[in-house]
Amino acid sequence: MMHWLRHGTGGVMMNEMISTLVFYVLAMVILGTALGVVMSRNLVHSALLMTACFIGVGMLFFYLDADFLGAMEFMLYSGGVAILVVMGVMLTKRHDGPPGNPFNNNTLLALGGAGLFVIIMIGVVISTTTPAGGYVSPDTVNELADMMLNKYILPFEIAATLLLAALVGAIILAKGDGEA
Amino acid sequence: MSIGLGHCLLLAAMLFSIGLYGALAKRNIIAVLMGIELMLNAVNINFVAFNRFTPVSDLTGQLMTVFAITVGVAEVAIGVALAYRIYNDRLTINVDELDNMKG
Repeated sequence: MMHWLRHGTGGVMMNEMISTLVFYVLAMVILGTALGVVMSRNLVHSALLMTACFIGVGMLFFYLDADFLGAMEFMLYSGGVAILVVMGVMLTKRHDGPPGNPFNNNTLLALGGAGLFVIIMIGVVISTTTPAGGYVSPDTVNELADMMLNKYILPFEIAATLLLAALVGAIILAKGDGEA
Repeated sequence: MSIGLGHCLLLAAMLFSIGLYGALAKRNIIAVLMGIELMLNAVNINFVAFNRFTPVSDLTGQLMTVFAITVGVAEVAIGVALAYRIYNDRLTINVDELDNMKG
């Protein structure tokens, strides 16, 4: 078993098999938890499954050699966004018992739209060929920082302004006009 | 068969459509926000996959994902603040009842 991993084509095949297996497990985790978010009857369960889905997406980023983005996904999405959403669930609870998560009357229409989108995308992905290649950075943090502070300094500053505006806007919205 | 661009694009398309279904078919405004978050994550997967599997020479796709995550987090903060405001004013977060702009 071990000499398979170390020598020749057998090791390469073994690595490829493990890589494929990891991708499919990640895909199952992501899609399963995403379906759980939509189908769950309890909004708190939806929020928890959404956190699990974000963790799956972060692991997929690690799998795709984007370590900095994976760490960011863990911190921002499965940390910050999850807490914000759970706070939103708590603040907008109307009665005792678990907060419900009902469907509206557009279920069939929404199902049709989403299904159509998947079918079109499968057709597009199968019928197009992209040039093979790829780029793996040995040090994503350094390279991203270099790009962000040299070539892409303007979007960086605009994103900073957007964050400030969103922060002030969220505070003003949540505070209301009545209370000074 | 090794994993390539197509696998990632299909996974992202399925995640996007699950999020789309959640955003369109849910009655609770927080659940709609969750659907939008799933869609944003699907788009981020696409960016990273294109950066990984197509012939490029730098990390532009990943940098774009950084900005997309920034916008997504700002959006969810505003969304939750809006939901809280609407709940305070109208005592409901059912998006079907928020129809006072209907002609």
